[in-house]
Order: sequence, then C-alpha cells, then structure tokens
Amino acid sequence: MTQVGEIIGLAYRSAIAEWTCANLKHFDVLEITVDHCIHGSAAQRAEIFDLVGRIPLNAHGVGLSIGTDVALDLAYLDQVAAIVERLEAPAYSEHLAFTRVPGRDLANLLPLPKTEAVAESIVAKVRTVQCRIPVPFLLENITYMFEWPDSKLSDAEFLNLICRETGAGLLLDIENVYLNSQNHGFDPRVFLDDLSPGLVREVHMAGGITVRDSEVGRSILADSHSHPVPEAALDLLDYALDRHRPQSLIVERDDRLDEGDEILADVARIRARLDARRAAHGKPALGSAA
Amino acid sequence: MANPLLDQQRSLLAHLTSGAAIFGKPRAPVDPALAGIDPGLLHLEARFSHEKRMEKIAGVFSRTLACLGGERASLERAFAEACPPAAIGRLENARQFHDFLLIHWLREPPRPSYLPDLAACEFAFAEARRHGDEGEADDRTAIIKSCSAKPHAIRRRPGVVLRRCGFDIRALFETGVMEPPPAKRDVALAIATPPGAAEPGVFELENAVFELLAALDDWTGRRAFGETPEAQALIADLATHGLLEFRA
Repeated sequence: MTQVGEIIGLAYRSAIAEWTCANLKHFDVLEITVDHCIHGSAAQRAEIFDLVGRIPLNAHGVGLSIGTDVALDLAYLDQVAAIVERLEAPAYSEHLAFTRVPGRDLANLLPLPKTEAVAESIVAKVRTVQCRIPVPFLLENITYMFEWPDSKLSDAEFLNLICRETGAGLLLDIENVYLNSQNHGFDPRVFLDDLSPGLVREVHMAGGITVRDSEVGRSILADSHSHPVPEAALDLLDYALDRHRPQSLIVERDDRLDEGDEILADVARIRARLDARRAAHGKPALGSAA
Repeated sequence: MANPLLDQQRSLLAHLTSGAAIFGKPRAPVDPALAGIDPGLLHLEARFSHEKRMEKIAGVFSRTLACLGGERASLERAFAEACPPAAIGRLENARQFHDFLLIHWLREPPRPSYLPDLAACEFAFAEARRHGDEGEADDRTAIIKSCSAKPHAIRRRPGVVLRRCGFDIRALFETGVMEPPPAKRDVALAIATPPGAAEPGVFELENAVFELLAALDDWTGRRAFGETPEAQALIADLATHGLLEFRA
C-alpha cells in the first residue's frame, strides 16, 4: 500500500494487536503510545517491541502533562527517551495540555490558559524535552470542553508562539479542531489559516460522538475515538493540506475496536482523498516540507 | 512564592475529581478560582474522566464488580469521593480501588463472603500480568538450563504474587463461571505467568512451599535447600511453573 510520500497509519492499541498485525499491509506506519509501554503489561510491551523493524513506528505520549506548572518529571522523560530509541521513532509527540497536579492525576487532557506567560513556561519545558529526547518534538492541539476565561491568545497564536520559540512541530489533530469549532462556535478554517507555514509535521484523524446532556443544555461533540472519521473532518483535512504538508497521518481509534472494517474504511477514505489531491496537484499531499 | 497557574490547576482538579462535580448537580457552585467556566461543562469533563478511570478499574476487577450487584453504583460513588485519582496507570487506580474495598469490608461484611479473596486474586492477576515474562524468554531458557547445572542462588521470580484465601476461588478463574460459589477452604495460592504462557495462571501450593516462596524475596544460596533428590525435584518443579529463578 505504501506510496512514495504518503504515509498513513494507525494508532496501535494492544486490544487489537492481533488484528493490527494481520492487517499490517494496510498501514505505512503505526503510532505507539509510549505510556502503554510504561504502564502496560509485559505481554503488551513485548508485542509492541516486536513490531520494530516490521513497520515504521511513531512515538506519541499522553503522560507528560507538560502544562502542569511544576518542573517536568525527568525520570518519566528518561523512560520515554529509552522507549523512543527502542522504537526507532523519528519523532516524539505530546499534547499541549495538562492532566495532573501533585497528588492528583485526572488522566484526561485539560486546556491551559492561552496567555504569553503560560506560553513562556511551556517554551522552557519544551526545551527540556528537546534536550532529553534526541528526536524532533511535536506538540498536539487538544480538544477542550471548556476554556479558561483569562485566555488572551487564540489557539493558533498560542501554538505558533510556542513552536516558533522552540522549533517544535505540530501534530495537528483535525478531529480536535473540528470538535472545538463545533463546540465553541468558531471557523476551523481560520485556525488552519492562522497556523504558521511549515509547522504541521503529523496529522491525527478520528471520529467522535455527540453527547446530548440536558443539564448542559446543548449537544456537545466528544472526542471518543469511537466512530468513523466524519466527512466534515475529511473536508477539513483537505483544507489543511492546501496549506500544510505533514509527513504522516494517523487514524486513532480507542473504542468499538472490534469494528476493524470501519478502521480500514477510514484509512481507505483518507487514501482516496490523498490520491485525488495527488491527481489534481501532481504531487503527494504528504511528505517532507516543501 | 505564589503560583497562580498552579493554584488554578489544583482548584480545577480538586473540582473535577470531586463527587459533587462527577455525580452532583451540574449547576452547583464551584471554587471561585474557576469562576467564568461553565459548571455544566465541568460536570461533563468530570463525568467523562471518572468513567475512563472506572473502565481501567473494571478491566482489573471485572468479576468483583459483577458480584457487587446493586451495591456497585453506591460503592463507585463512595470510592470517587474518598479516593481521587493519584496516577494515570490502570494498576495504580486498581490498587486504590482495592484498598478502598478492603476498608469498606471492615465496616460492611462483604456479600458474598468470598469477595475479598476474589478481589485480592483479581488484583494479583493484574500485578502478575504487569511483570509477565518480559525480556526474559531467553533468560528463562538459561535459567532452566542453569537449574540442571546446579546454580548458586535461587529467588522467587519477580511478578509471582502469593495470596492466602479462605475460599478456594481457583475455579472462578479457571472456568470463568461464577457458579457454583467457591467452597470455603483455606488455600495458599501463587499467581504467576508460567514459561511460554501469555497469561498468568493460579496455582495451589502446600503451606510449606508457600512459606518457602514467601521467604525467597532475595537471592538465596542453593545449598540452603540441601542436595536431596526431593529438594532438587521441588526446585525444578517450581521453576517449571515460573515461580523460581536462578543465578549462576
């Protein structure tokens, strides 16, 4: 399936390890969550490391909590560095978010106040990560249920500022942009327009659900990674690829994992979009920055 | 020194991990540090996070939770209120839940009465699974070979979990069926991943063997076990089940 310049893959999940290996030919890359190596069972770790050399592996994290306003956990970073090396991953990505404070760990990504002061503290931490882990570091935009009232910068301004100061790249989660735009009422294309050129290195795609909570008073789109990628997100991907040139694209699925056909169909739909772009523009949509 | 951002973050997590935010009225008042944030959205965030945490815990205590029946919802709520999440990992959250259950059962007798044994063994399976036989497949071959070559030291394999139970709950794990209820009988058990196995198993041990394994936290000279054929056979048998390891 591999096409020059088009690298499309799946976020690896141990629950469907066997299915993933049986369908490896459909993917050009697998994304490994480093925290699954750290916290998973021995058998799960062995299955992951057994993939090295069989297919390229990207390294992604959920446990850094780079936004918590305390010093980074250097022991955790050292564990990540060892795993990234063992996976032979070309980059390491994490969320621009926080998940914990000392003594409490929500294990769920929470937004930061988007201010210059907060960006400055993140810049220092990104530099620590870059010193500790010798592959390019990418930050991922998150989906957020709420915003801090003291935010002064837009999502794009906040990301641009941190990435410009550090040289970090962006793992652009298209689904998160789409959900945020729907939940918070902004135009996702403006966000994509405002991102600095050359920033987007990888892309995430997924499908969520609509939560109708009468107590909240309106429908909320939730980033459940449980359903097919919506057409609206594919359209947004097209729009993003008009402006940015990521090197790889990963489909994420965390629920309804037994629906393997849906996952393969998502990959096929994305490939079809990229093939159409290639036909129209005469060059691959993904690849090294132009 | 004042740290306004960290204070904000602490307030947010205190709220999102509170029973009031997870289960209570979504429009209930929140910490002044969170003023300006829609309480209904905080309620959703709290609820989603709690559900994800309970999924991790249910992955370890599936049988125990099934046995809790109608008591499950109230216990989960009491757990959330008493034990905010302190770590991201499944095992760490499972440990919190297990500790909570043990304290609860001191106040309220468990029903059915074998629940503490079931919960302890489910947690032991999770611990054994965490260790498994990672990176030791080749070493294990060497270990067994070195056993026949009379290695110098022996210890209990890391990842072997020992449990004494008042009910013989092995059938609940071996058959996966919860009926009939386990017989009341004192049993000494080891939960471990045997060589070549993907999943841990549960083994009943004689009391003396249980005590021996419990004492073998650290490397111990092989000569301490004597050179009798019975001692060698026992050691070889324990190694075959993945309960002992050897050092030359």
